Amino acid sequence: MPGTMSPELMDPTNPPSTEHAGLKTRALLVSVFTIATCGLIYELLAGTIASYLLGDSVTQFSTIIGVYLFAMGVGSYLSRYFDRDLIARFIVIEILVGVVGGISSPVLFFSFGQIQSFRVVLYGWVTMTGILVGLEIPFLIRILEDQFPLRDLVSKVLSLDYLGALAASLLFPLWLVPQVGLMRSSFVFGVLNLLVAVWTCHLFRREHGRPWLTAQAYAALVLLLLGAVYSDDLTERSERLLYEDPVIFSRASPYQRVVLTQRDGEVRLFLNGDLQFSSLDEYRYHEALVHPGLAAVAEPRQALVLGGGDGMAVREILKDDRVEHVTLVDLDPVMTDIFVDHDGFAALNDYALRSPRVELVNADAFVWLDADAGRYDFIVVDFPDPSNFSLGKLYTTTFYRRLAAHLNPGGVMAIQSTSPLVSRQAFWCIVDTVRASGLQATPYHASVPTFGEWGYVVASREPFRVPERFPAGLRFLTPAVTRALFEFPADMAPVPVEVNHLNNQILVQYHADGWDQYSRTPPPVSE
Amino acid sequence: MTRRTLLRMGPAAAAAVAVRCSSPPPSSPLDPGRAGITGAIVGASHATGHRLREGGFPEPRETRDVSVIIVGGGMAGLSAAWKLSKSGFDDYALLELESEAGGNSRSGRNDVSAYPWGAHYLPVPPPEAPAVRELLEEMGMVPSYGADGEPIYDPRHLCHAPQERVFVDGAWRDGLSAQDLLDPEGTGTVAVLTEFEAQVRAYRNYRDASGRRAFAIPVAASTTDAEIVALDDISMRDYFDRAGWSSEPLRWYVDYCCRDDYGCTLETTSAWAGWHYFCSRPAEGQYLTWPEGNGRIVQHLLDRVADHVRTGMLVYRVGTGGGPGSPTGATEVDAVDTVRGTAVRYRARRAIYALPRFTAGHVIDGYAPPGAPDAFTYCPWMVANLTVSRLPVDAAWDNVLYDSPSLGYVVATHQNLRIAPGPSVLTYYRPLSVPNPAVARTWMLEQRWDDWVSLVLADLSQAHPEIESLVRHIDVMLWGHAMIRPVPGFVWGASRRRAEEPHGAIRFAHSDMSGISIFEEAQYHGVRAAEAVMRDLGHAHTSSV
Repeated sequence: MPGTMSPELMDPTNPPSTEHAGLKTRALLVSVFTIATCGLIYELLAGTIASYLLGDSVTQFSTIIGVYLFAMGVGSYLSRYFDRDLIARFIVIEILVGVVGGISSPVLFFSFGQIQSFRVVLYGWVTMTGILVGLEIPFLIRILEDQFPLRDLVSKVLSLDYLGALAASLLFPLWLVPQVGLMRSSFVFGVLNLLVAVWTCHLFRREHGRPWLTAQAYAALVLLLLGAVYSDDLTERSERLLYEDPVIFSRASPYQRVVLTQRDGEVRLFLNGDLQFSSLDEYRYHEALVHPGLAAVAEPRQALVLGGGDGMAVREILKDDRVEHVTLVDLDPVMTDIFVDHDGFAALNDYALRSPRVELVNADAFVWLDADAGRYDFIVVDFPDPSNFSLGKLYTTTFYRRLAAHLNPGGVMAIQSTSPLVSRQAFWCIVDTVRASGLQATPYHASVPTFGEWGYVVASREPFRVPERFPAGLRFLTPAVTRALFEFPADMAPVPVEVNHLNNQILVQYHADGWDQYSRTPPPVSE
Repeated sequence: MTRRTLLRMGPAAAAAVAVRCSSPPPSSPLDPGRAGITGAIVGASHATGHRLREGGFPEPRETRDVSVIIVGGGMAGLSAAWKLSKSGFDDYALLELESEAGGNSRSGRNDVSAYPWGAHYLPVPPPEAPAVRELLEEMGMVPSYGADGEPIYDPRHLCHAPQERVFVDGAWRDGLSAQDLLDPEGTGTVAVLTEFEAQVRAYRNYRDASGRRAFAIPVAASTTDAEIVALDDISMRDYFDRAGWSSEPLRWYVDYCCRDDYGCTLETTSAWAGWHYFCSRPAEGQYLTWPEGNGRIVQHLLDRVADHVRTGMLVYRVGTGGGPGSPTGATEVDAVDTVRGTAVRYRARRAIYALPRFTAGHVIDGYAPPGAPDAFTYCPWMVANLTVSRLPVDAAWDNVLYDSPSLGYVVATHQNLRIAPGPSVLTYYRPLSVPNPAVARTWMLEQRWDDWVSLVLADLSQAHPEIESLVRHIDVMLWGHAMIRPVPGFVWGASRRRAEEPHGAIRFAHSDMSGISIFEEAQYHGVRAAEAVMRDLGHAHTSSV
């Protein structure tokens, strides 16, 4: 082993064997590799989480990398102000890096849902991590400076540093993101930093001579290990808090939590955390829901909308001057109040729910329908997806038969029917259930970017003919486009399914099977 | 001894312990956490019923003449009345002890829901049960018929999904069948399940030389072939032992079924009755159910016969001859009006005695039961209705706890078509299935309301730790003689086989005459008795059975 031990590596009372000194040196070099890997992982995590939460990944990655590198530079600069107890200080820095980096994912996820100025937390955290990581390499170089000639030292340390970066940049996309997850990755790499702290504590226990430092390192290690173990739980919690955009309205009704977010003019409605619409493309969903059925009715005077308390479907119906009266039945008064009373949100449905042609009822649909004596020419059925047995009742033969009894001769019903691409069995089950209820069922679908490929069924007593004329002011439907909606590509073609009855509720199973294959939760459409 | 083992050992053991410790059973005031729960022990007039043994009734001051008098307004008595009224035979009266008719099918109602106090569903009847089908058509349960002419039952009243679940090993499992418990994945590799199911199929498909089934509803239509009848000599447990079926979940499941339908355990149910449970109905049977359970049927029957029904009438004597000078009287029935305290004598040409048979020796002059004197034994039951502020998560219709002495609970609002969550009523069933029902009966009547509340909440909190915070109100009903017990030797013993024999002008009608306490048997005997008296009296009618 060339060179002589630095004062920090030397025990003045008991000269170490060269073997022990070599072990220490090698351990420090391994540390270089490890901390380099960890450092880059934290940077990648911050960049990924920022793009995930804020969108625009180019901007997020550029700014995160810039701030992070700059902060590392600050750290490197600051390293000059430390000149004593380098080993102990290095251990402290490792503990801090391990904790700060290790909890970066949960901190960023949770603060997004909780804290108004998320960017301050984001860049503050990135800066703090960068400064700490920036201190590491200068410290190590100085600790090792007496072990090697400068030429060798710089070559060894920097090559290991860049090798660590390579390892991180390969591990991150290939293994960590798909297999481990953002939350657990951050804990796992925090643990690695703390292992460096712990082994440094042990190897250099004589040099630093501070037992409490070892205890701190272990305490932090246990903390992060717990985090790694429970990170699935944390992920779930953070996602519950999480909305992509600033929350501009939030209220819990007896039935659900209603949240509206807004960013750059785009409004999103979430019920219990599930996206109901984005104002950017909801017109596609609602035009497709309403107009193919409505335009096919010869004299649509009376219309009924079940669900759809956001008023968007009503807005579409009112575009048709032939409609004299619309009854909207929605369970939740909190929902309808927002879209009647609040000017900003009511603007989204063109103040449709304030129209004298519209009557608003807050009631449970099946119960209301049983008591209602009305007859309608056009009925829109816009319930949340059949994701549980309660909602599944609104997709049964019993329900459709009851509904058919309220349909005037020549009338048409339009039913939102989940995604035929994601849950093909569920979609065709709804089609077959409508048919088993003594109605003609004509399925169609439309592409709504925030939902994906979405399915509908028109139900009628008479054979349905795709209409050729639509009201003015549509942005999505034209006669040619509408004809195409009734064509099903091979990947959404009919599959054999059972009919959904109250006493089997097979649809709930089909729906769960289809959506379970997708990692995200189903985005049910507006209620 | 912990509370849990005490509960599992059943009431007799609990009573024994209480005696041995020579201290009163726990009767502390309500726990502070329970202060918000209201309720009471309601219903069944045990005290009034017990007056029968003591005697000392007032002499009737008033005499009324009717052609037919029906004693007892449970399902058998009401069905007899239904048949009489349907046949245009209107000169009859029905006397019921309780303030409401309906027997085991009575129900209650509060501001949340109607709920059952006993029987809570009716299997969709097979073609062999024409009277049941006739009744259901009358009730509007059959809105249409299939191409084959078979009735299509109203899906609103067929039990909705999810129907059953069972709490095993700390988690709820969907479904409640031998397969759900033994082979939930459906691998088909569980040998004992395969054997059990093969035996069910074999008995289900069995037909004797005259085409009779092994186990039929009504029981009277079952084969009398020795091979099948001999099953009544042994218990279901003996059968399992001989078959070498030691599987714990299978034994638990069959024991559960026996307790559910008979209030008897694997040990106390005859193998004939045990197999009847599994093999008398089609494989893919469906249930009709209503919030108030079979109270819906009671209400329908009352809608037709209520004018003839006198409630609060304790019948203390049925005489077999009319007194001198009574031109039409072949029988006389003395009853005391429990509200006014006055007695009435009904003189009738025929009587239909539709009370459980154990009462006959106390009530009917000169009645000696055929066969053994105490052959008819009954299991006591406790039923509790719990009003809850919301349903437990993912509740099914029938929610069963594995290894509990209870049968779990049924959700009264299950057939509700609302999607909004809301309060509900849970009906909790607890047969006191011990070998000696008299011991259980005594113990049962000693328990106070708060003892029952503790017992119910302790049991349910295994599966629902939060149950106490959900419950607002608990009413408890105690059924001293809830169900006839088909113990080994009863169904095919002389006492039951000869139970239909008339006693002078008295015909009998009750499900205990079948040895199986189900609606179909009660209705069968009620309708049969009504048809018999109409035949006796020369009243033209068409038969429903």
